[in-house]
Amino acid sequence: MIVLDHCQKTHVVFTVVEGYIEETQARYTTQMSEQSAREVFTNNKEAALLLLPTLFVIVMFLYWPAIDTFRLSFFQTTLTSERFAGTYNYIRLFTSGSYQNSLFVTFGFGLVVVGGTMLLSLFISFMLYEVDRFTSIYLITAIWPYALPPAVAGLVLLFLLQPDLGILTYWIRSIGSIFGMDLGLDWRTSGPMAFVVVSITAIWKQLGYNIIFMVAAMNNIPNTIDEAAQLDGISRSNRLFKIYVPLMSPTLVFLIVINTIYAFFATFPIIDLMTSGGPGGATNILIYKLFIDAFENFNLGYAAAQSLVLFLIVGVLMYIQLRVTDRYAHYG
Amino acid sequence: MARIQLENITKRFDDVVAVKDLNLEVDDGEFIVVVGPSGCGKSTTLRMISGLESVSEGTIRIGGVDVTGQEPSDRGIAMVFQNYALYPHMSAKRNMTFGMKSAGSFTDEEIEERAMSAAEILDITDLLGRKPGALSGGERQRVALGRAICRDPQVFLMDEPLSNLDAKLRVQMRAELAKLHDELGTTTVYVTHDQTEAMTLGDRVVVLDGGQLQQVDSPQRLYDFPENRFVAEFIGDPAMNMIAVDVADGIASHPAFSIPLPDGDSLSVGSAVLGIRPEDLYLADEREATSPETFEATVSVTEPLGDSLLLHGQIEGHEFKIQAQPRRTITPGDTVELGYDPDRLHLFDRDTGEAIYHSDPTASIAPSGVTQ
Repeated sequence: MIVLDHCQKTHVVFTVVEGYIEETQARYTTQMSEQSAREVFTNNKEAALLLLPTLFVIVMFLYWPAIDTFRLSFFQTTLTSERFAGTYNYIRLFTSGSYQNSLFVTFGFGLVVVGGTMLLSLFISFMLYEVDRFTSIYLITAIWPYALPPAVAGLVLLFLLQPDLGILTYWIRSIGSIFGMDLGLDWRTSGPMAFVVVSITAIWKQLGYNIIFMVAAMNNIPNTIDEAAQLDGISRSNRLFKIYVPLMSPTLVFLIVINTIYAFFATFPIIDLMTSGGPGGATNILIYKLFIDAFENFNLGYAAAQSLVLFLIVGVLMYIQLRVTDRYAHYG
Repeated sequence: MARIQLENITKRFDDVVAVKDLNLEVDDGEFIVVVGPSGCGKSTTLRMISGLESVSEGTIRIGGVDVTGQEPSDRGIAMVFQNYALYPHMSAKRNMTFGMKSAGSFTDEEIEERAMSAAEILDITDLLGRKPGALSGGERQRVALGRAICRDPQVFLMDEPLSNLDAKLRVQMRAELAKLHDELGTTTVYVTHDQTEAMTLGDRVVVLDGGQLQQVDSPQRLYDFPENRFVAEFIGDPAMNMIAVDVADGIASHPAFSIPLPDGDSLSVGSAVLGIRPEDLYLADEREATSPETFEATVSVTEPLGDSLLLHGQIEGHEFKIQAQPRRTITPGDTVELGYDPDRLHLFDRDTGEAIYHSDPTASIAPSGVTQ
């Protein structure tokens, strides 16, 4: 039998007590950390309650309108009544000459705006990237248009390009007259000219956004790769298209998608302000046409069908873009 | 293959002088290593030769031609970077041939032939289809070397090409680089901060500090006859011990010891700095015949290095490093008796740091102006 003296006993007791305290502390700390990690709320109802406002907004302003648009597209509507019409709206849509024209204009516009924006931004970004003096001044100048709301951008160019009084049109006319050409430049009556003017405005407005991303992507490319290219004697254009573009491709894919959405949807204010879809439907892109049909002609069912078709078109476009570019994009 | 001549090269970045009045000639086919601490201007010098950096003053000639204002691609050079600088979206082979294809002055067969022969030299024929992302560090550096070889340049420029590799691979690649240079015989300028690389690779080694040339010499002469304190302390690991002494009548005296300088009878320079490498000091009981003088030191730190035992000893408040025989039981606090190799003493001017004296008996080939 082991006999412990008083001192030893006290020591043992202390050790046991200490151990107990440590254990309790440890348990308490784990509980705390577990709580903060996943159990903020004591019951699920509280969590659901706090989620409710967000859910309400999303459902009210996103899902419900989307579902109702789908529903409406099968109804013939007037201001006050609606009547189930089956696929009438869709049949009307695809047999309508003005809708086909709008489709054609939209794809043309999308192609010009996305292509133009990408190419121009690429050149400007490359120049910005290569210049070593006053870089930030150039950068700010290039990005500036992006700071304007589309409506303001539209207005500014509307003034600059006003056929009779605009400064730009005046200069273009003056240059034309040097070569003995009498340029009318009245794009309010010429469809193709209006298309060009709207496209220029839309591209100009979107340049800044693209340049920010492209310059950032170029700056991400290691300097030594550029130096290796210099030593290899690669020409500037080859350097841009064979080295920079492939290395920037993830950014470019992203920009193509963003620019497509921009061209199909966000150019609405520019069209509305500058041409109102005219002259003769030359700039009547789908998003503008469906707005007119919905809120000026109050044909909500017809507009809903258009809206759904537009959604599908952009969705399919997106899918194709991502699939195609995925094959070529270099993700490091 | 070509000579490189740098004549009075200066490089300024705004107020900072990165390289100051540098004169250097690299012989045809020579492997020259530029070494120095960070910020000494070695990379800037290399980049000026390549044309990636402009020259503030001076002239650069490659093969007798003034290339100072020429584009990098017109200088007949190829460069290998520390981080390889491979095009990540191209296969190894395309990386090697892209420059030649863009130049447009080569036929497809010629390009193919050169790429294949470079790949064979470097033993990377199996890797040609892979992109850099699928290659290991060593393989990437081989591809980067392949790209340089493909160009068949007059001059290879290498900017710390082995620094990103792990220690073992670095030693292996170092040997391969030496072999490659023997095979190709191309003039090579190699920049590194690693003095082992410098000593093992270079036909001659250039030591730079603060943008100024310190010494150009063969590795062994650099080690044996450093022209100044900087070179003496920079080359060699662990670094040379330096201790202030008074020199009169060929004797270097210090409160703790006085060392006669062999063949230095006439030397009376007053205050100077005595340099002795750690491996030229030994424990007196390790050898039968010891130096004329021995002195005592107190051991403060012991570092067993495996092949030797590095001792940090205190002599009158000065720290000395001593490379002793391994497997000795010496503990900090012990007092040891030190001997030295009388043929391996160096004296430096206390103010300018210039070498005054080397005691090596073969110092008849010592740099001019230095007394034996």
